[in-house]
Amino acid sequence: MHDHHDRLTILMMGNPNVGKSALFNRLTGANAVVSNYPGTTVDVTKGYLRKDRHSYEIIDVPGAYSLEARDAAEEVAVRILDTHPDAVIMVVLDATRVERGLYLALEVIERGAPCILALNMMDVAQDKQIAVDAAEMQRVLGIPVVATTAISAEGVKHLADMIRKAQVADLSAIRSRLNGQEPDQGAVARCAGCGGGGCR
Amino acid sequence: MGLTADERWGLVDAIAQRTVAFGISRQTTGDVLGELTVKPLTGIPTALAVLYAFWSIFGSFAGVLVTDGFMIKLFDGYWLPWMQAAWPDPGSVHYFLFVGDPAAETCFEAFGMLTSGLFVSFGVVLPAIFVFYLMMTLLEDSGYLPRLAVLMDTLLHKIGLHGYAIVPAILGLGCNVPAVTATRTLETKKQRFIMMTLLALFIPCGAQLGIMLQVVPDTVGWVLLYLLIGFVVFGYVLSRVIPGSNPEILIDVPPYRWPQRANVAKKLWNKTRGFLTNAVPFVMLGILIVNILYLTGFIGWLADLAAPLFVTWFGVPKETVGPLLAAFLRKDLAVAQLSTIPMTSYQMITAVVLISIYFPCVATFAMMVREGPRQLLAAIGVLAAVVLIYGGLIHAVGILLGVA
Repeated sequence: MHDHHDRLTILMMGNPNVGKSALFNRLTGANAVVSNYPGTTVDVTKGYLRKDRHSYEIIDVPGAYSLEARDAAEEVAVRILDTHPDAVIMVVLDATRVERGLYLALEVIERGAPCILALNMMDVAQDKQIAVDAAEMQRVLGIPVVATTAISAEGVKHLADMIRKAQVADLSAIRSRLNGQEPDQGAVARCAGCGGGGCR
Repeated sequence: MGLTADERWGLVDAIAQRTVAFGISRQTTGDVLGELTVKPLTGIPTALAVLYAFWSIFGSFAGVLVTDGFMIKLFDGYWLPWMQAAWPDPGSVHYFLFVGDPAAETCFEAFGMLTSGLFVSFGVVLPAIFVFYLMMTLLEDSGYLPRLAVLMDTLLHKIGLHGYAIVPAILGLGCNVPAVTATRTLETKKQRFIMMTLLALFIPCGAQLGIMLQVVPDTVGWVLLYLLIGFVVFGYVLSRVIPGSNPEILIDVPPYRWPQRANVAKKLWNKTRGFLTNAVPFVMLGILIVNILYLTGFIGWLADLAAPLFVTWFGVPKETVGPLLAAFLRKDLAVAQLSTIPMTSYQMITAVVLISIYFPCVATFAMMVREGPRQLLAAIGVLAAVVLIYGGLIHAVGILLGVA
């Protein structure tokens, strides 16, 4: 009854064609259109997820390379981000093209919203002999990082479990971790090192 | 505020160095195919082959196999005579509205809601869009579309667009409505305006293509050629006239993937359901409205009024005005209606082209209002000018060829 009030909004953001809609459909059972070309999603789709006692409203946001919008679809993405200041951001990365995804992730992190990161397309990365260390990425960024393959639903349940552990990341802490120092202990650090595997 | 782009990239590199390791990757068949289909020497023949295959499967499955082979026999041979015999009172208004012409031999001619309406919806358009979307989904899910965009880039830059405009253009061949929203992936206002206008003018939708195969099977090539020429010529003119830039774009080409059966089935089902719930009622409504307008004498009056323009300028019979009215609701219906008007085959080509270009259907129009209300007035101005100029030009070509 009252779950309308404590329903958390999750925005799924990421570069075009990284599988946001496929992952969104897996999480919510919704019917977003999935294709293999960038720019399939140009509008907003909403779906709902109940996990244990938590209930989430999940919004599939059009793909963007950066928050400095270049086209109308990216403008939609930025506008949704602006109009949902309290939302948790799930940044979806293509595991075969991590760098450009991280760029957007950092932009989102800088805005100070709680984030969780999904490393999608792990199957393709494996085929291409690209190894992405989700545990290390989680330790460095200080936000949950979950490896997923939307097409086969691998990792999706774990991703759903981890949504509630979304964290606000701190840039200076990221920097000092990259320099080999451990910053002060927070909720974040407790989570570090579990490899996105057993953090329950 | 936060970081500069350079600082951000620096941080990205540092994180990636810690977390990503590249092994030795072998080139897969998909990679090789990916290369071959974007290099012009091999890519252009492939693109032509893909588009030709698309068209010929569309025509032979929807047109020849399902509609000619099965639906026409069912509707003209059994359904129409049965309706004509079973519906009471051939002289009445309700007979005219529901069954149509009591002497009609085919479901195209009858033009009642339960004869032509059902035949156009289920006999012609449903099989057409079904097979169209099946192939379309395969193109979408395999990853071929962005490669086509790379190939088309040079060509489309000449008409003020870049290669990625091929995506809304091809989506528009299915239905113009999602194509209008797909123009959001274009970067500048200029590009969006040109693409939306060209979409509304020169890209016929799947339903229309399906019915064209039935109504003008021998000359459909001419109709498409006229539309293609119009697309290129007016695109070129618009790109010169409209202010704004047409920047280069970097297209992200994804690897080829096998389309997933579940995803293909889901998309097909969604499209089919959309057709049944959104399009079929409009076909019925269109027939109802057109028939009422005929009964009240409005169409006759309008035909007389428009006769000088239609007969002298466009070179088509004045009765074409009726289908043009219907075209606002459903273009497939309008083309079906054309088939009942006696005219020469060149007049038919002109009339079908006119129906395609004269105005977007109501669903597309509504979407254009949503996407760019300010540019819409300009678009309508361009539309009116293009219809007048191009319609006259096609007539002139006909006169020169000695066929009009």
